[in-house]
Amino acid sequence: MPIIKVNNRDVHIQELNTEAPETILLVHGMFCNLSIYYFRIAPILARNFHVVMYDLKSHGMSEKITSGYDLDSMTDDMIHLLERLNISSVYLGGYSFGGLICLKMAARFPHMVKKLVLIDAPNPNDDKTRLMMDAYSRESLESYFNGPGQKKRGKRLLDRKHRLYEYIFQETTIKKDVLQEREFFSAGEIRRIEHDTLLLYGAHSPCIGAGENLKEKIRSSALFALNGDHDLPLQEPETIGNMMDMFFRTQPAQA
Amino acid sequence: MDTIVTAGKLNSNEIFTLLKQFITEVIGEEFVEEMDISMESSFNKDLEMDSIEIVAFSEKIKAHFGEKINFTGWLSNMDIDQLIELKLGMIVKFIEACQ
Repeated sequence: MPIIKVNNRDVHIQELNTEAPETILLVHGMFCNLSIYYFRIAPILARNFHVVMYDLKSHGMSEKITSGYDLDSMTDDMIHLLERLNISSVYLGGYSFGGLICLKMAARFPHMVKKLVLIDAPNPNDDKTRLMMDAYSRESLESYFNGPGQKKRGKRLLDRKHRLYEYIFQETTIKKDVLQEREFFSAGEIRRIEHDTLLLYGAHSPCIGAGENLKEKIRSSALFALNGDHDLPLQEPETIGNMMDMFFRTQPAQA
Repeated sequence: MDTIVTAGKLNSNEIFTLLKQFITEVIGEEFVEEMDISMESSFNKDLEMDSIEIVAFSEKIKAHFGEKINFTGWLSNMDIDQLIELKLGMIVKFIEACQ
């Protein structure tokens, strides 16, 4: 499994169709990992593109790092990864917190982003996200996983998940760093984004308002409310993969 | 380091033994010792592997068998419930059929 050194840190990456001339970079969300794309979405995109997925710091199989979860630091990480892979520009897709990283990337380094897809990216000013972080406990995790409609998980799986949450919540600066991004959607940099942007949101997701907000701010954007909630990549992977593929392959309209 | 092995066809028992070895490498010997791994073992319920461990397991299959087994292509046709319910025996059968 490819663990590469990026800026002197271990980063887990997966690549598909390395021969293709153009690259899609996929960014997962918080407490998630690259597997959100690996099984269903990435194989669809790899029919026409070189696909790169990576685990964010402290997630999946990447190295645990205690600080630097603000969007500037997360985009710096992405820049280091692209330099390491010798890639000068990419089609960019991000889910949830990963969507915010992609948005920041388009704002800070527009020349490195060809087009943008945001999947259920939340507004960092949304109290629900922060309350969820504050209310975290092993009990709530257990009830989340084993509550109504959830499949019963075993002890080992729960322990692993618990350790990940414990580490990220208690031993890193993530809460403070995310809090400092509260005004991100109000910042002028979002309105200056000129990339063609596809906004894919769950029709029943608490984040749908964030999608509408971004649709209003990003000039060249289209919003689609798909059948699902915040777990959209698990609920509609084929639709997401096909829509992304078509969007990335379509040439921008001539002015 | 994973290497592509181009030896002859493996029978189902040999494939099963190989997959058990991959699982041990991914989740660790201490957990495997407590489990009774069989063809009927499912990844999520019985082996308690999470999604990133199944990625690591898939990569080991790809690295071992190379191009002739399109394992991730096969998985990509399954929905999330099918992936969760996936049993070791189904993978053994798939690899056996592809060889």
